[in-house]
Amino acid sequence: MMGMMEGKYAVTMDLYPLESKEWNRIYPFYDHLKEGRLTTTVCKDCGKKAYPPRVICPECLSENLEWVDLPTRGRVLVVTEEEVGAPLGFKTPLIHAIVDLGELILFTKMTGVKMGELKEGDEAKLHVFPVDSVPVDGKKGTVIWQERVFYAFTKA
Amino acid sequence: MRNVCVIAGGQCQWGVRQATERDLFQEAGKACFEDNKIITNKDIDGLIVGSAFTERCSFQTHLAPLVAEHLGIKPKNICARVELLCATGSTGIIMAAALIKSGEADVVMVIGGEKLYTPQRWEVNYTALAASDHDFDTGMGLGLPPPAFAAVAKQHMKLYGTTEEQLAMVSIKNRRNGLNNSKGQYKEEITLEVAMNARAIVRPLKLFDCCPVTDGAAAIILAAEEKAKYLTDKPLVYFRGSAQASLHNMSANMPSWTTWEALKIAAQQAYNKARVTPQDIDVAQTHDCFTISEIIEYEDLGFCQKGEGGWFIEEGKSDFGGQVPVNTDGGLLSSGHPFGATGIRQGIEIIRQLRGDAVRQVEGARIGLTHNLSGLMAAHTVLIYGRDLE
Ligand SMILES: [Zn+2]
Repeated sequence: MMGMMEGKYAVTMDLYPLESKEWNRIYPFYDHLKEGRLTTTVCKDCGKKAYPPRVICPECLSENLEWVDLPTRGRVLVVTEEEVGAPLGFKTPLIHAIVDLGELILFTKMTGVKMGELKEGDEAKLHVFPVDSVPVDGKKGTVIWQERVFYAFTKA
Repeated sequence: MRNVCVIAGGQCQWGVRQATERDLFQEAGKACFEDNKIITNKDIDGLIVGSAFTERCSFQTHLAPLVAEHLGIKPKNICARVELLCATGSTGIIMAAALIKSGEADVVMVIGGEKLYTPQRWEVNYTALAASDHDFDTGMGLGLPPPAFAAVAKQHMKLYGTTEEQLAMVSIKNRRNGLNNSKGQYKEEITLEVAMNARAIVRPLKLFDCCPVTDGAAAIILAAEEKAKYLTDKPLVYFRGSAQASLHNMSANMPSWTTWEALKIAAQQAYNKARVTPQDIDVAQTHDCFTISEIIEYEDLGFCQKGEGGWFIEEGKSDFGGQVPVNTDGGLLSSGHPFGATGIRQGIEIIRQLRGDAVRQVEGARIGLTHNLSGLMAAHTVLIYGRDLE
């Protein structure tokens, strides 16, 4: 959101992560999203696959991790529909679903569905979309706009 | 290890307040000292301040020395802030008790509060987004809790046959319990018809199934038993035991949506430390952020079998005269929920019940329990208080 102070944008108060290499060690997650892939890290020492992705294995604390793909399609277990009161940055109705991806269960925003349209048992698929870019201070007063994406699921 | 007693407690008026964060803290501190005229601000050697959204709503960090200065408290053993979202207040009490037990401090005030209403309405809801896993849940719109608790309710209803009427009975009971709570946010009774026909927030949760957004603060004073004997003329209330457990944070890592495993762990630990069983609890203040929460808490605190929470409320077992009266001052649903103050408000109601001077008294109450959950059911906090040590 824009503040009134000289048009400055409070990046650290917005909804989405700082995704680029300069700010985030799990930047490949976002690069993979741009390719339509949902990925996470798996530990090459103990085999633990964690979500969200890490820089340290939460099981054995190894840093020897690699990226693996997660399923991008799953089955809807529960649907919730927020008819009013969605926070700034989200459209009403704000629809969520618990989606079973097999090896992972996500509670995710559902895009492109209307009230009453999504049902338990429906198939859902990954949906990646652009979100606000991040203005980063460059040299001599320049501003570099870093593009970002985020993900949700939609009815398959 | 020393025994710890609770010797005073008070809160300010809760609701939509025309006041700043520091105004609320001053009012709560004064109310606490008014509860026990023997103790003064000069007797306090430790101050723990709780607030979840002080940076967000008041752009104020380093809050503890500010509150100390405003209350004329000059702490010499501890002056710090704690934060665990909805369990912030009870976390402060646990830490104060530990400091006193170990001899690090003798008389500690725990004061918590929030100023959540800000001049622009969008900020009130937006701020809640800071409470979930920012990089993975916030962008999903999972900061405001109704969608997650609606998902809990749907699954509990499907698994155990819990009904929307049973959900409504929790808010009807707690609104009734809060009728004479002069400091609470609401003082109106509701009927089953009103609750069932209220507007949907996220189905099956309707308006009265959800606790409100609240400005407010509350304070409590704990002291080592040998000091407490001289610092109050009221019956002593002992801090008997507590525990806090967490098994996940991000929504994707929830072990179960309908059985709160971390609550079961925290409850068992607290019962063991206090040397009591669920059947020994005479009165409880549990985290009724939503009606479904209180129903699951009956089950996972061990007041009834798994899946029977809906019938526990329906049969009046959590009401006055029942097996264990729950949320006797109105709970979050009627009192409101300023995160940093809620666990303290629950503690105040329990000490009043155990001293025998509650507004609505549970006759002969000797052992009381408080519970908070925080975040997406991510951490659970259980405290047990008693009139006696054994
Ligand atoms: Zn490992």
